[in-house]
Amino acid sequence: MTGPVGFSSPLARAEVLAARRPDGQGRSRLLLSVPGIRCGSCVAAIERTLSSRADVASARANLTLKRVSVVLESADADPSPVIDALTALGFPATPVEPGAVEADDPAGRELVRALAIAGFGAMNIMLLSVGVWSGAEGRLRLGFHILSALIALPVVAVAGRPFFRSAIAALRAGRMNMDVPIALGVSLAVLLSLFETAQGGAHVFFDAAVTLLFFLLAGRWLDHLMRERARSAVTGLARLSPAGAMVRQADGTFAYLPLADVRAGDVLSIAEGEPVPVDIRILDGHTDLDRALVTGEAMPVPAGPGFEAEAGTRNLTGTVQAQALRSADASFLAQMIGMQAAAEGGRGRYVRIADRAARLYAPVVHVAALATFAGWLVATAGDWQTSAFVAISVLIITCPCALGLAVPVAHVVAAGQLMRRGVLMKDGAALERLAEIDRAVFDKTGTLTTGLPRLGPATGDAQLAGAARALALRSRHPASRAIAALDCRAPEATDVTEVPGSGVEGTVDGKRARLGRADWVGEIASVPADAQSPVFGMADGGTLSFALEETLRPGAAEAVRRMTAGGLGVTLLSGDTAARADLIAGRLGIGDVRSGATPAGKIAALEEMRCAGGHTLMVGDGLNDAPALAAAHVSMAPGSGTDAGRTAADFVLLRDSLAAVPETWTLARDTARIVRQNFALAVIYNCAAIPLAVAGLVTPLVAALAMSGSSILVTLNALRLNRGAPAPARMQDAEAVPA
Amino acid sequence: MMAQLTRAERTNAMLITGIGALVGLAMAVAGRGDGFGAHGWVVLAFCALLFFIVAGALEAPEPVEDRASAYYDDPTRVGILLALVWAVVGMGMGVWVASLLAWPDLRFDAAWSSFGRLRPVHTSGVIFGFGGNALIATSFHIMQRTSRARMPNQVLPWFVLLGFNLFCIVAASGYLMGITQSKEYAEPEWYADLWLVVVWVAYFILYMRTLARRNEPHIYVANWYYLSFILVVAILHIINNLAVPVSWTGAKSYSAFAGVQDAMVEWWYGHNAVAFFLTTGFLGMLYYFLPKRAERPIYSYRLSILSFWGIVFFYIWVGSHHLHYTALPNWVQNLGMTFSVMLLVPSWASAGNALMTLNGAWHKVRDDATLRFMMVAAVFYGLSTFEGSFMAIRPVNALSHYTDWTVGHVHAGAMGWVAMITFGSIYALTPVLWRRETMYSWKAVEWHFWLALAGTVIYVFAMWNSGITQGLMWRTYTESGTLAYSFVDTLIAMHPFYIARAFGGLLFLAGACICLWNVVMTIRHVPVHVSARDYPTDSEANEPALPAAE
Amino acid sequence: MTILVLLIPVTLAMGGIGLAAFFWSLRAGQYEDLSGDAERILHDDDRPLKPARQTDDQKTGETAT
Repeated sequence: MTGPVGFSSPLARAEVLAARRPDGQGRSRLLLSVPGIRCGSCVAAIERTLSSRADVASARANLTLKRVSVVLESADADPSPVIDALTALGFPATPVEPGAVEADDPAGRELVRALAIAGFGAMNIMLLSVGVWSGAEGRLRLGFHILSALIALPVVAVAGRPFFRSAIAALRAGRMNMDVPIALGVSLAVLLSLFETAQGGAHVFFDAAVTLLFFLLAGRWLDHLMRERARSAVTGLARLSPAGAMVRQADGTFAYLPLADVRAGDVLSIAEGEPVPVDIRILDGHTDLDRALVTGEAMPVPAGPGFEAEAGTRNLTGTVQAQALRSADASFLAQMIGMQAAAEGGRGRYVRIADRAARLYAPVVHVAALATFAGWLVATAGDWQTSAFVAISVLIITCPCALGLAVPVAHVVAAGQLMRRGVLMKDGAALERLAEIDRAVFDKTGTLTTGLPRLGPATGDAQLAGAARALALRSRHPASRAIAALDCRAPEATDVTEVPGSGVEGTVDGKRARLGRADWVGEIASVPADAQSPVFGMADGGTLSFALEETLRPGAAEAVRRMTAGGLGVTLLSGDTAARADLIAGRLGIGDVRSGATPAGKIAALEEMRCAGGHTLMVGDGLNDAPALAAAHVSMAPGSGTDAGRTAADFVLLRDSLAAVPETWTLARDTARIVRQNFALAVIYNCAAIPLAVAGLVTPLVAALAMSGSSILVTLNALRLNRGAPAPARMQDAEAVPA
Repeated sequence: MMAQLTRAERTNAMLITGIGALVGLAMAVAGRGDGFGAHGWVVLAFCALLFFIVAGALEAPEPVEDRASAYYDDPTRVGILLALVWAVVGMGMGVWVASLLAWPDLRFDAAWSSFGRLRPVHTSGVIFGFGGNALIATSFHIMQRTSRARMPNQVLPWFVLLGFNLFCIVAASGYLMGITQSKEYAEPEWYADLWLVVVWVAYFILYMRTLARRNEPHIYVANWYYLSFILVVAILHIINNLAVPVSWTGAKSYSAFAGVQDAMVEWWYGHNAVAFFLTTGFLGMLYYFLPKRAERPIYSYRLSILSFWGIVFFYIWVGSHHLHYTALPNWVQNLGMTFSVMLLVPSWASAGNALMTLNGAWHKVRDDATLRFMMVAAVFYGLSTFEGSFMAIRPVNALSHYTDWTVGHVHAGAMGWVAMITFGSIYALTPVLWRRETMYSWKAVEWHFWLALAGTVIYVFAMWNSGITQGLMWRTYTESGTLAYSFVDTLIAMHPFYIARAFGGLLFLAGACICLWNVVMTIRHVPVHVSARDYPTDSEANEPALPAAE
Repeated sequence: MTILVLLIPVTLAMGGIGLAAFFWSLRAGQYEDLSGDAERILHDDDRPLKPARQTDDQKTGETAT
C-alpha cells in the first residue's frame, strides 16, 4: 500500500517517458529517485549494472540524495528497461519530475563561498595581527595594518553580505533581529580600524570583524546544511502522488498527460496499483479502493460505477475508467494544500528564541554604547576620537558571536542525533516548538496502525482456512494478504480470477471457491446473515468468516505510555469510525478519542486546543492530516505517509517504530535546556565584557580572545547533546562478525 | 617492463637518457678536479645504465593489449622497490650515525665517514629516498585508481621516478664527498636543486594531466593532499634554494640570503617541508589505504576536506618556532608559536578521523598487522603533532631546544607516523600491484610490525629521557651561580640512552629488511591471482552506514 | 625582517591559489555527494574506465562494419 507507484502500470511507464530530457547532443537524461541506495556497494552495483548496458551512455548514483542520473544513448530511447534492470537489482526507482531537480543549492553555495572567503581573510589577517600583538612596531606595524585593511575590505564586503541584507530588510520592516547588531558592529569596526590605520594608531579591529563573520557564517552554514539535508532526504523518499494521468483521446486510445493538463470531464484509465490522480467518478469497472490516506478509513472499500473517489485514493484490484470531476488544482489534494496554507497562521506567529533574544539584546547594547560615548566625551572633555573608539569597542566586544552560534550549533548537533535515530528534522525552530508541547495528538490509520490489516484470533476449520489461504495467495487485496499470512498448508488452487470489488474466485480441491464480500460469497455457499467480511466459502462446503483487525505500528504502545508518563495529554484524532477508533484507543490506553473527523474537523479540534492555551504535537500521515499537521504547534509524519503529510510535517520518521516520537520529544527538551544554558553563558560573558569595554580596556587582542573563547564555549556546550547517544550504526558490523 | 612501451616511446627514452649521459659527460669534463666533475660521472653512469637497458629491449615485441584498458603500474612497482631499498640504506645509515654517537671510534678515521657527512645521508636517504619514492609510487597508484583513468603517458612517469632517484643519488654521494650547502633538509647544491625543479614540474604536469583525463567526476580527497604536496614543495624548494654558484663548473654556491634572513627562509622551508612533504603527502596515503584496507569509508569525509584546508593554512607560518631565542625578532617567534599551537586542531582532526574510521573494525586491526601499521601511524601522528605544538611554546622550547628531545620528537613523527603509514601502505599495495593473493609471509609482517613498534618506542623514550636530562643539566646552576655540569658531564649522562637509541634503530632497520625480503618473496613466489577488484569485498562493511558524522 | 617582503606575498599567493582551487571545486560540484564519494574508492574495478569518447568511437565503428 505504501510502496512507490508500481512500475508495471501503464501510468508509471508513461511517466518515465515524460520524465526523460534530451541533452541536446543526441542523448537523453533521466533522473531517478532510488530510495534503496543505502551504501557504497549499492552505488557500485547500480553503476556497474547500468554502465554495462548498451542503451546507457553513463550512469551515476548519488548516495546522499539517493538518486541515479542516467544518460541514455539516444534521445528517444525508452528508459523503461533501465528501470526494470534497477528493479531486478533490488532498487525500485521512480523518475524525479523536472521541477524537483534543485541539486545545485544556490543559497548554500553562496554561504560556502562567503565562508571560504571569510576563512581565508581571517587566517591571513590573524597572522598579521599576531605579528602586531607580538610586538611588531613602527613602519612594520603600519604596513601590517594597511595589508590587513586591503584584505579585510573586500572580504567584509563579500562575506558580510548575508548579514547586511538581512539587517537592512529587518530595519525596513521596522523589526529587530540578530543581524542588526552584527551588521552595525562589523561595519563600525571596519570604519574605526580604517580611521586608526590612517592615523597610524596602535589598535585595529580588522581581525575581530572578519573572524566574527567567519564564526557567524559557520553557524549559518551549519544551519543551512541541516535544513538542506532534511529537504533532500524528504524529496528522496518514495513519491506517492502521480505526476500525470492516462487520458482518453479523441480516437479512443489512452495517452499520458501531465496532471496540470487534465480537465474536468476527461475520461481516465486507472489501472490496479495506481493512485487516483484527480477527483473522479467511476464510469466503468469494479475495484477496491484504499482510502486510508484520504479519509483515514482502515479497510479498503469496494467500488463500482457511480462511486466517487478523491485524488490520492489508491486503486487496489481492478482497472477502471473514470471521469475527472475536477481539474488537479481543484481536487481534494489541492483543497488540502489550501487548507494547509490557511492553517499555518499559528506557526507563522512563532518567534524564534534567537530573535526574541535579539529584541531584548540589541537595544541594551546600543544604549550602552551610546552612554559610553557620552560618558567618555564628558570625562575626557570633548576628546571625541577616544570616546568613539571606546564606544565602538563596546559594540565589537558585545557583537553577538556566541549568541549567533548558541542556537544553530545546538540544533545541528540535535539534528545529527535525530538522524541517527531515523528522524529527519526540517528546521531548528521545530525543535524549539517541540520542547513546549503539552499534548500529543495522534492520527490512527497509518500512524498508530500500519494500515495493513491482520487476522484476529481465528476459529474454524483448519482445512477451510488452508483452502482460503490458497485463494488469498493469488490476490493483492490487503485482506487477502492478511489471510495469506496464515500459518497453514494451502492446497493447489486453479482457475483463480480476481473479481475487483468482490473478491477472489477459483477452484480448490476440485470445488468452486470464493473469498471476499459476504453477499458475493453467499451466491455459491450458505453464508450466515450476520457474517463479517471477508468470508470464504466453497460450493457444497462450509464457510469461514475472518475477523480482521488493524495492526499496531511497532513502538506505538511504548510511545503513548512514555508520553503519558512524561505528563503529556494524548489524544486520538481519527477520520475512521468510532468503533474502530475506540478499539485502538482501548488497546493503547488513550482516553481522549475523537473519531469521524473530517480534515476541517481535525483543524477545528487543534484550534480548540490552541485557544485553550495548549501547545499540541500532531502526528499523522494522510492527506486528510496534512492541514492538521500544519495547524498544530509542531508536527511529525511517518516516512510511509503521503507526500503532502511529509511536506507539512516538521519531523519525518524514517523508521517504522513510533518510539522515535517520545525520543525526539526528550531530545527537544534537552536541546532547549542547552540553548538556555548557551544564552546564559553569552549573558555572563557580556556582563563581564561590557564593564571592561566601557572602561576602555578592550584591545583588539582581548576582543579576539573573548570572541573565540565564548564561541568555542557555546559550541562545546552544545556538543554535550551527543552524550548518551546511541552508538553509530557502523558499530554493528563488529557484532555481525562470526565468532 | 619494456613490454608496455611502444617502439617510439623506447626511442624517446633512449633520447632522454642519451642527452642525460652527454650532460653528465660535459659536467665530468668541465668540473674535473671538483666534486662537480665527480657528479658528472655519477650522472653519466646512471643515464648510460638506463640507456643500455632500454636499448637492449628496443626490438622487443610491442604491447599487444589495449593499453587504455589497464592501469600503468610498472613505475609504481619499481618505485615501491626503490623506496624499500632506500629504506634499508637510509635506516642503515641511521643506525650507523646513532652508533657513532655512542661509540665514536666507528668512523674508522675516514673523512667521508665523519658524523657531519653521514648524517645527511641518513636524513635525505629516509626522507627523500624512502619517503619520496614511496610518495611518488603511491601517488601514481592512487591518482590512477581514484580517477579511474590510466596515466596519459608512458615515459613521463619513468622520467619523474628515475629523475628523482638520480637527484637522491647525487645528493647522497655529494654529502660523502663533502658537497653541501649546509641547509637542513636542503643540503644538495645548486645543480641538483635545478634538476629537482625540472623533475618536480614534470611530476606536477603528469598529475594534472591524469586528473584531467579522469573518468570519475569526483576528485578523491587524497589527490588534494598529494597535489598540495607537489605544488607547495616546489615553491618552497625554489625559494629556499635561491643561490649564486661560485662557478658554473663548480659545486659550491652561496645562498641569496644572509644571516637571520637566511635562517628564516630556511625554517620557513624546513617546517613546511615537514608539513607538505612529511604530512600532507602521507595523509593522502592514509586517506586512501586506510579506508581501503579497513573496507570502510573514511569516518567523516567532510572533516578530511576541512582539515586539509586547515593544515594548508595553519602550517605556512609555523617554521619560526625553530628559531626561538635567536636573533629572529621576538614577534616573529611569537607568531610561529601561536600558529604552532593552533595547528593542533586540524592535525588532531585528521588523526581522530583516521581512528574513528577504524572504530567498529577493531577486530580487523587486531587480526591484520597491515591495518595495525596504519592505526599506530595515526596514533603517532596525533602524539607527535601534540608534542610539536607543545615544544613550540617558548618556555618549553627553552628546555627542549638543541637537546635530544627534538631528535626524539622528529623520530616519533618519522618512524611512528611516516614510516608506519608507508609500510602499512606498501603491505596493502604489494599484492594489488603484482596481482598476488596475499603477501608471501604474514608472520613476517607481524614480526616487522612488532620490531618497528618496539624500535620506535625504545628510540623515542631514550631520546625523551636523554633530552630532558640534557636540558635540565644545562640549566642547573650551583649556589655560586656557575653551571653545575660541564658539557662532558651531560655526554656521560646521555651515553646509556645513546646505546638504547642505536638498539631501537637497529630493531627498526631489521623490520625494514624483513619488509624488503617479504616484498621480493611475494613477487617471486606467490602465485598470480587475478581478481575482478582490487580487494574482495565480502565483509559486513558493505552494510549501510548512517551518516554518523557527515 | 626584510625577508617578509618576499615570504608574505608568496604565502598570500599560495593561499590565493588554494582559495581559487576551492572555488573551482565548489563550482565543479565536487561536494555534492560526499558520503557516496567516500565509499566509491572501496568499490573500484582493477581497471580504468574507458572514456566516454572512446566508447562512442567504438560503437560507431561497430555499427559501420
